[in-house]
Amino acid sequence: MRPLTEDESKAVFTKLANYIGKNLIHLIDRKDEPYCFRLHKDRVYYVSESSMRMSISVARPNFVSVGTCFGKFSKSGKFKLHVTALDHIAQYAKYKVWIKSNGEMPFLYGNHVVKAHLGRITEDTPEHQGVVVFSMSDVPLGFGVTARSTVDTRKLDPTAIIVFHQADVGEYLRDEVSS
Amino acid sequence: MDVSNILASHAAKFQSVTVEKETPLDVDTGLLTVTDLTPIDEDSYKSNLEEYLQITARDGIQALVAALYGLPTQPSPDGPLAQLPAPTTQLPRAKPLPKLKPPTKWERFAAAKGIQKRVREKKVWDEERQEWVNRWGKDGKNKEKEEQWIHEVKADAPVDHDPVKAARDARTSRVAKNERQRLQNNARAQTAAGDREERKKDIERTLATTRISTASMGRFDNKLDGEKKLRGVKRKFEAAETSVEQEKQASLAVLSKLDGDVKRARKEKGAGDDVLNVRKAIRNVSKGKGGVALAREANRKGAKSKRGGKR
Repeated sequence: MRPLTEDESKAVFTKLANYIGKNLIHLIDRKDEPYCFRLHKDRVYYVSESSMRMSISVARPNFVSVGTCFGKFSKSGKFKLHVTALDHIAQYAKYKVWIKSNGEMPFLYGNHVVKAHLGRITEDTPEHQGVVVFSMSDVPLGFGVTARSTVDTRKLDPTAIIVFHQADVGEYLRDEVSS
Repeated sequence: MDVSNILASHAAKFQSVTVEKETPLDVDTGLLTVTDLTPIDEDSYKSNLEEYLQITARDGIQALVAALYGLPTQPSPDGPLAQLPAPTTQLPRAKPLPKLKPPTKWERFAAAKGIQKRVREKKVWDEERQEWVNRWGKDGKNKEKEEQWIHEVKADAPVDHDPVKAARDARTSRVAKNERQRLQNNARAQTAAGDREERKKDIERTLATTRISTASMGRFDNKLDGEKKLRGVKRKFEAAETSVEQEKQASLAVLSKLDGDVKRARKEKGAGDDVLNVRKAIRNVSKGKGGVALAREANRKGAKSKRGGKR
């Protein structure tokens, strides 16, 4: 476990800023308790200072996880957000998409959000913008990237993809490690 | 018959063949050069320059030609040729003096000990052959041991002892030693010229490059004796347990740098950073009249309320 280097933090922050924009400051500069980012086996963890200090005493081979896993670095150095980061992202999300109840299951099975399932969307969402997907009862379901801007979605047919799927809470079941 | 008159008139027509000068001319027939050391006569030089130069030149040429006729000649189909002696004038050298070679290790030792350099003759006397033979090289005396037809072998010598091979090995090892010393002397001479540390670094860098310059990036190469493990640049990470405050500041710094990038990108695009579309909001609130109208209305309202307050 180690702190991120400058390049790594840059990669993580740009990815996060795509979803929560300037609210990223609230993740770094928290009022309640100091939090920090830690890297362990290519995975980035968002940890409170107290747990970080406690976890230091664990040897690296025995160390599995601490805090919230935000994502992992690929071998080529790109950062990929994981669904585990959803809670923090949803809290500060800048652009949101709400999907109807009939669209929840398809999304939770890893499909893209089509226009027919679109309940609401933040006004003026640009194209290729990271958005958090909510159910109509404001439960965060996952996140993705918009395929079209809000204005362009009006003219589309119902089967057109609005949000490209990136991660959803269904992964907790689908990608569960069988042990 | 008195011819003196005629002679005098003839002599007047032609100038004297012999040149009389206060300081004799310096004639170097080897280089066909005449140097006139007589100081310049200022009056005649200034009054008539052309004539003065011509007279001086004629005198010089006359002296040179006279000297040339005094030289031994050789007949040739084109007429007699004068044989020039070696030049006597010392010319300055065109190139700078060669730099002294840095002394070898032995030369330094010899100088410290006061050992005189002694040139060994290349030939040595061979008693058997009754002639002078080379000390080394072709048919050298140093190869005598390995070329003789019979060898003395010690009683306790091992069975596979080959006296020819032993002699030859001893000689080749001496040659190798000499070559090694020569290379060391060369290297020493070079390091004396340049910085030693820099040279060492340079060699190490070259070695490191050559070691990974094979098809397998040096993975399947034979290891040499005493070869050290190749080390790259080690990554340095911050300690896992640092002051969180410090870390926060670093993160914020990265973030602000990132913000700058984003702002610049947005500026180029020409859109605002916030979710709130200001243009659209103004249009909505002012019911399509625009920001100026909205401000005017707000002012009027403010004035009204003020008046209301007075009442």
